[in-house]
Amino acid sequence: MIQTLAFYLFALLVIASGVFTITARNPVHSVLWLIMAFFNAAGLMVLVGAEFIAMLLVIVYVGAVAVLFLFVVMMLNIDFAEMRAGFIKNFPLGIAIALVLLAELVLGIGAYKAGALELGVADGSAAPMIGESNITSLGTLLYSKYIFLFEAAGIILLVAMIGAIVLTLEKSAADVRGQQDIGKQNRRRPEDATEMQNPEVGKGVEL
Amino acid sequence: MFDPLEYLPILIFMFIALGISVLFVFLPMGVSRLTGVHEPTTEKNSEYECGFPAFEDPRSPFDVRFYLVAISFILFDLEAAFLFPWAVSLEYTGWAGWTAMMVFLGILAIGLAYEWKMGALNWE
Amino acid sequence: MTEYFQSFGMSYEFAWFTATIAGILLIALPLMLAVAMIIYVDRKVLGAIMMRRGPNVVGPFGLLQSFADGLKVFLQETIIPSAANKGLFLLAPIITFTVALAAWAVIPFNSGAVLADINVGLLYVLAVSSLGVYGVVISGWASNSKYPFFSAMRAAAQMISYEVSIGFILVCVVLWANSFNLNDIIVAQKGHGLGFVNAFAFNPLLFPLFVMFLISAMAETARAPFDLTEAESELVAGYQTEYSSMSFALFWLGEYANILLMCALCAILFFGGWLPPVEWEPLYAIPGWIWLFGKMFVFFFIFSWTWGTVPRYRYDQLMRLGWKVFLPLSLLFVFLISGYLMLTRYAPL
Repeated sequence: MIQTLAFYLFALLVIASGVFTITARNPVHSVLWLIMAFFNAAGLMVLVGAEFIAMLLVIVYVGAVAVLFLFVVMMLNIDFAEMRAGFIKNFPLGIAIALVLLAELVLGIGAYKAGALELGVADGSAAPMIGESNITSLGTLLYSKYIFLFEAAGIILLVAMIGAIVLTLEKSAADVRGQQDIGKQNRRRPEDATEMQNPEVGKGVEL
Repeated sequence: MFDPLEYLPILIFMFIALGISVLFVFLPMGVSRLTGVHEPTTEKNSEYECGFPAFEDPRSPFDVRFYLVAISFILFDLEAAFLFPWAVSLEYTGWAGWTAMMVFLGILAIGLAYEWKMGALNWE
Repeated sequence: MTEYFQSFGMSYEFAWFTATIAGILLIALPLMLAVAMIIYVDRKVLGAIMMRRGPNVVGPFGLLQSFADGLKVFLQETIIPSAANKGLFLLAPIITFTVALAAWAVIPFNSGAVLADINVGLLYVLAVSSLGVYGVVISGWASNSKYPFFSAMRAAAQMISYEVSIGFILVCVVLWANSFNLNDIIVAQKGHGLGFVNAFAFNPLLFPLFVMFLISAMAETARAPFDLTEAESELVAGYQTEYSSMSFALFWLGEYANILLMCALCAILFFGGWLPPVEWEPLYAIPGWIWLFGKMFVFFFIFSWTWGTVPRYRYDQLMRLGWKVFLPLSLLFVFLISGYLMLTRYAPL
C-alpha cells in the first residue's frame, strides 16, 4: 500500500517537475525543477529495488551534472531578447525535432500492451543474486562479463576529458602568468631571505 | 535482501526535516509582524552588498575555469561511481576484475596527466 | 522500539510509524541541541586559543549563549532585498538545513540503533552531502548581489573539487570493510589494529587516507583554513551577506550540523564509531553512543583548533591541494589497497 502511494507521489512529482522544467521562464528555475525531477526519479529507482542506481542518480546527476547546468545558466547571463530574435530563424528545425520526439512518444505509448521486451535471452529478472546486496551482483557482472564495455566507458571518459580541455582552454600551456611554484615557496626558509645586521650608530647598513 | 520499507524512515525524515526548516524560515516572519519589528523601507530592502550602493550588474560572466572544474568533477565522479561496485565485488571477480579496473584507472590517469600538462588544474 | 509501542496495544503498522517518528525526533532534536552547544564549544575553544574568555555571561559559564543568540535572531525582522529572487531566496536556507538534517538518517549510534539500516548507507551520505552545494549556490544567486554571488561560485567549485577525493577515500574504506553499510564498516574495524585497537586509522595503509579525509572534510564544510567562501576581508560575509533573522541562522545551523556529520564520519570510517577504542570487555559497559559522541567531540576539537591556528589558504592553493595532491594520492591508495587486499585476502598468488 505504502509502496503504491510512494510510487504515485514520486511519479506525479517527476511529471510535474518535468512540466515546470520546460515551462519555467527563468532558466535557473528550469534547472532547479530538473533537479527535483532527478531526485524523484531516484525515489522511483528505490521503489523498484535498484538502490545503488538510485544513489548514483543523485550523486552523478544531481550532485555533478546539474551543478554544471547551474553554473552555465547562472554565469552565461542569457539575453532573452536575443534568444527571441533567434526563435523565428530556428523555428522549422525546432518543429522537426519536436515532431520526431512526438512520433517516438506516440510509438512508445502505443506499445504499452506489447508485453515485456524479448531479445532472445532471459531478461535477467530471474538471475541469481551474488553476494548480499545488488551492488555486489552488479559489480560481479560488470567486471567479468561486460569487461570490454567497461573499458570502452573508460575511453569515452578520457575523450570527454580531452574534449573539455580543448574546448574551454584557449590559452596555451606556455601562458602561465603568475603561476607559483609551491614547492619552491615551501622550501624557502627565513635564513634565505633575511639577514641580521647590527650597525653601529651613524654608520648605517651596506646594501 | 532488499526491502524498500527500509527507505521509508528516510522519506519520513526528509519530510520532517523539511517541515522544521520551513517552520524556522516562516515562523520568525510571522512573529516579527506580530511584535511590530517588521517595518520594511526602500532603503532597508536595497541590497547590502558591501555597504555602498551597488553600481554594477551583479551577474557578471565568469572565468571559464569554473566550467572546467565542473566538467572534470563530473568525469571523476563517474570514475568513482565505477569504483563503488568494484570495491565490494572483488572476491567474485578476482584478478580479472582487478586488472580491468587498473586499466580503467590507467586510462583516466592519462587524462589527469593531460589536464595537468595543459594547465587545466592551474589557478592564477 | 516498535515492540515497545506495540506493548501499548497498537497495531504493528501504527506502532512502527510511531517508533519511526520517535526515532526521527530522537535524532533531530538532540542534533539541534548539539549544534547549539557545539557553537558554544567552538567559541570557547577559539577564545582559549586567543587567550580571552569567550562567551561567559549568559547562564553558568555562558552555556546558554547559543540559545540567547537564537532567541534574538528569532525575534528579528526578516529582510528580503527587493532585488532578490524571493522564492529562491527563502528556499536556499531551507535546502541547506533540510539536507544537513537528512544525512543523519543512516548514522548508526549504537549496535542496531540506526533509523534506516540500508545497504548503501555510505553512498546515501555521499549523495545527500553532495546536495549541500545547492543551498549555497541558490542563496548566492538569488541574493542578486555581487559578493554573495562570487562567494557562491567559489563555494561550489571548492565543494565539488574536494568531493572527488572524498569519493576515492571512501572507496578505500569500503574496499577494506567490503560493505557500504555503515554498521558493517564499524564492525569490520573490531580488533583491526594489532588485534585489539578498534580503528582503521591504525592501519598504515589507511592512516594517510584518514588525514586526507579530515582535511577534505574541512574544505567540504568550508571551515577555516578553507573558508574562502566567507573570507570577510574580500567577500563581506560570503553568500549569507543579504540574509537576516532566522534564515541567516539556518545557514549557521546547517553548517555546524554538516561539521558534526563530518566528525561523525571520521569516527565511523576510521575510528570504529560506537565501538570502544580498544577491545577490552569492561569498556563495552559504556553505551556505544557515548563512545561515538566522545570521538566526534575530539574531531570537533581538532576542527576548532585548526580554525584558531592555521591561516587561510589562497584560492589557487586550495584548488592545487584538491586536484594536484589529494586526487592523485587517493587514486594511488585505491591501487595500493586493492592490490594488497587481492594478495592477502581474495586471491593470494
